[in-house]
Amino acid sequence: MKMIFKMAWRNIWRNKRRSIITISSIFFAIFFAVFARSFQIGIYNKMIANMVGMYTGYLQIHQNGFWEEQSIDNSFIPDQTVIDILHNNKDIIDYNERLESFALTASKNLTKGAIIMGVNFDKEDNLMDLSPKLISGEFPADTSASMLISEGLASFYNMSVGDSLILLGQGYHGASANGIFPICGILKFPMPDLNGRLVLMPIKATQELYDASERLTSLVLQIKDPSKLNRLKKYISKKLDLDKYELMDWKSLLPEMVQTIQADSAGGVIIIGVLYMIISFGILGTLLMMTAERMHEFGILISVGMRKSKLILTLIIESLMMGVLASILGIIGISPVRYYFNRHPIRLEAQAAESVESYGFEPVIPASLDLDILFNHAGIVLLIVLICTLYPIITIWRLKPVKAMRA
Amino acid sequence: MRSFLVIGSIIMGIWAGIFVVAFCYGLNKQRTLNSINNYVSHIQIHHREYEKDHDSKYFLENSSRIKKELEADKNIKAFAFRSLLNGMISSPIKSNGVRIIGVNKNEEKKLTSIHSSLVEGSYFESKRKNPILIGEALAQKLKVKLRSKIVLTFQDADNNIISGAFRICGIFKTKYSKYDQGNIFIQNSDLQRLIKSEEFHQLALLCNSLDDVDSTYQSLKNTLSDYDVKDWKTIAPELAYADEIMETWLFLIMIIIMLALIFGIINTMLMAVFERRRELGMLMAIGMNKSKVFILILTETFFLSLFGAPLGMFLGAFTIRLTSETGINLAMVGEGLRSVGLGNIIYPEIEAKFYIFITAMVFIFTLIAAIYPSRKALKLKPTEAIRTI
Repeated sequence: MKMIFKMAWRNIWRNKRRSIITISSIFFAIFFAVFARSFQIGIYNKMIANMVGMYTGYLQIHQNGFWEEQSIDNSFIPDQTVIDILHNNKDIIDYNERLESFALTASKNLTKGAIIMGVNFDKEDNLMDLSPKLISGEFPADTSASMLISEGLASFYNMSVGDSLILLGQGYHGASANGIFPICGILKFPMPDLNGRLVLMPIKATQELYDASERLTSLVLQIKDPSKLNRLKKYISKKLDLDKYELMDWKSLLPEMVQTIQADSAGGVIIIGVLYMIISFGILGTLLMMTAERMHEFGILISVGMRKSKLILTLIIESLMMGVLASILGIIGISPVRYYFNRHPIRLEAQAAESVESYGFEPVIPASLDLDILFNHAGIVLLIVLICTLYPIITIWRLKPVKAMRA
Repeated sequence: MRSFLVIGSIIMGIWAGIFVVAFCYGLNKQRTLNSINNYVSHIQIHHREYEKDHDSKYFLENSSRIKKELEADKNIKAFAFRSLLNGMISSPIKSNGVRIIGVNKNEEKKLTSIHSSLVEGSYFESKRKNPILIGEALAQKLKVKLRSKIVLTFQDADNNIISGAFRICGIFKTKYSKYDQGNIFIQNSDLQRLIKSEEFHQLALLCNSLDDVDSTYQSLKNTLSDYDVKDWKTIAPELAYADEIMETWLFLIMIIIMLALIFGIINTMLMAVFERRRELGMLMAIGMNKSKVFILILTETFFLSLFGAPLGMFLGAFTIRLTSETGINLAMVGEGLRSVGLGNIIYPEIEAKFYIFITAMVFIFTLIAAIYPSRKALKLKPTEAIRTI
C-alpha cells in the first residue's frame, strides 16, 4: 500500500506539466463555485441585516403566546433569571425593552390607526438606526411624556413638532388608555408600512398610558455576530423557562422574508448547478487527455505484470492527491478575493441604486465570508473529480496491453 | 476524441449561457406576474391628492368619464373601480386596523386572483347581508371563523364615523401574510348603502399583455391628465428593485460562467498541444514555419467552434422549449417550498437576440482561450518534441 502511495505521488510529479494543468482545472472549479455562491449568500445576508435592522432584531423574547395573540394582556415583567441570562452572555451586546400596542390617533376630526411603541431611545438608536431618520425635532428624554411620530402620520394630520396628538386605546386588562401627548420629533421611515403608522414614546410614559407599569411586550436582543445566531438561540432556550416565555428568531418574526429567500435561493441552486456542469466538463476534459497520453505507459505496466486493480487504485489515489492539493490551493486562493469583495462590495448601477436606497438599504452586493461555503464546495468538487476518474478507471479495466503499447 | 471535448465545452458554454439567462428572466417574470395578478395590476388611477394621505375624501370625480375612456381603449382587458377606506375591524375579542377594499365582485374577478385564493367559504356567494372576505392571518388574529360576525368602523368623506356589521363569507390566503392581515374585501353595493353615496378611490386595470402597458400608460396619462395615473413599476418599486438586482447578478454569474469556460478550454487545448507535440515537432522539423503552426491551431479551434455553436444553440433552444411548457418546479431544490404555490414554478424564456449574443460571446472567448495553448506550441523544440513518445 505504501508502495502504491509512493508511486502515485511520483506519477504526479513525473509529468509536472500535465499534473499542473489538472490541478489548475480543479483549482478554478473550486474558485468559481465558491465565488458565485459567496455572492449569493452575501446578498441574502445583506437582505436579512437590512430587514432585521428595520424593526425586529435577530432575536426576541416574549411572554409565551404573545406572538399568536399580540395583545397588551400578554405582556410580562421579566424576572431576574431572564435578565441574568442576557447579562451573562458575551454574544449579546444589549437588549431593548419594548411595550407595543395598537391605538387610534386623533386630532380635530381626523383619526388613524397607529402602532404605539414604548422604547428606550438610546438602545433603539443602535438597533433601528433612528438618528438619521429623525427629520425634525429631537429624541424625548426617558422620563418625558412626549412622542416621536412617523412622517406619514405627521403629513396626514398636517402636524409638526410642538403640536399634540390624542391616543385612544385599550390598556392592560381592559383599562382605558387615553391621553394627549406633544410631538417632540418626526421620523421618516423608508418602508411605507412603518412610515404611515408608527409612534415611538419613552417606555415609561407608554407603560403609564396603558396602565402596565414595569410590563413589556418584548425584549429585543442586539447580538454581536449574526452567524452565531443558532448557537446563541440554543444556549438561551436551554436556560429560559419556555413555559413562561417564547424565544423567536428573525425567521419566525419575518416569515415572508424566509419565503422570499427560499424561493430565490432555489433559483440560485439551479444556476450553481449549471456552473458545476461547465466545471465538471473542464475537469473531465483534462482527465480524458491524461488517459489518452498515458495509454502507452498503462499498456507497459500491465504487460510487465501489474494487476489492473492496483493500477486503478494508484490512479484513484493520484486523483485524490491532486484533488486535495487543488482544494487547499483553491481555498487559499479564493479567500483573499472573498475578503476583498466583502470589504469592497460590488455597487449597483445608478438606477438600481436609487430604488434600493429609497428603501433605506445600501445598494451593494457583498461577498459572504461564511466558511461553510468553502468546505461544502471543495467537497462537491472533490466528488466531481472522483466521478470523472471513472473514465480512466473504465479505460484501464478494458485495456488490451498490446494494443495500448502501440498507441 | 480531443475534438469532441472542445466541441463539447463550447456546446456546454452556449447552452449554459442561454439557459441561465432564460431562467433568470423567467424567475423575474414569474415574480412580477405574481404581484401584478394578486395586488398591483398593470395601471392604477387615483385622485391627484389621494397618494399623499390616503384620505377618503379624495375619491375619483366623474368616474363615468374614466369608464368611457377605458372602454374605448382596445388594449385594456379588464378594469375595476374600488373604494378604499382605512378603518378598524373588531371581533368580540380584538380589534385591528385594516384597509377596507370595496369591490364589484364581477369586475374584481377579472382583475385579481383573490377569488381563487380562498381557503374557506365562497367568493361573495353568501345569501346573507353584508358579506366580507378576510385573510387567514387576520382571522386567526381576531379569532373569528367562517360566518362569524365582525364590525367595521371607518370615516366617510365628511369625517363622520360609520360602523357596520358584516358576516365573513370567505377566508383568503395569498403569498404574503402581511397583506392578508391588513386588507379585507367587501362589496361596493354594501359599502354604498352605509356611506349613502357612490364614490370610488381607485381604478385598477389590466392590459391585454405586459408589452401593451407602456403605450396604454402613456395614452391614459394624456387623456386622463387631471387624475393620478401610475403603472406597476411606479406602484411597486420593489419589483423593479428585484429586476435590477437580478440584472447585476446575472452579469456577474455570466462572467463567472464564461471564465470557467475559458479555463476549461485552455486546459483542454493545452493537453491537446502536449499530446500532439510529436506531430507538431515533426511539422516544424520538415519546415513549417512557426506562424503557420500558430494559425493552424487557431483555425482548428475556429472550425471546432463552428461545429459547436449551432449544436449549443439548438440544445439551448430545445431545453427552453421543453421547460417553458412544463416549467421548472423550484420545490425540487428549495427547502420549505413544498407547497406548490404561484411563483414556485419557473417558465424560462429568452429573447432571440440573446442566442446570437451568447453564441458570439462564447465564440470569441473560445478563440481567445486558444491563443495561450497555440503560443505554447510555438515554444516546442522540434528535435526534443520528435523524440518524445
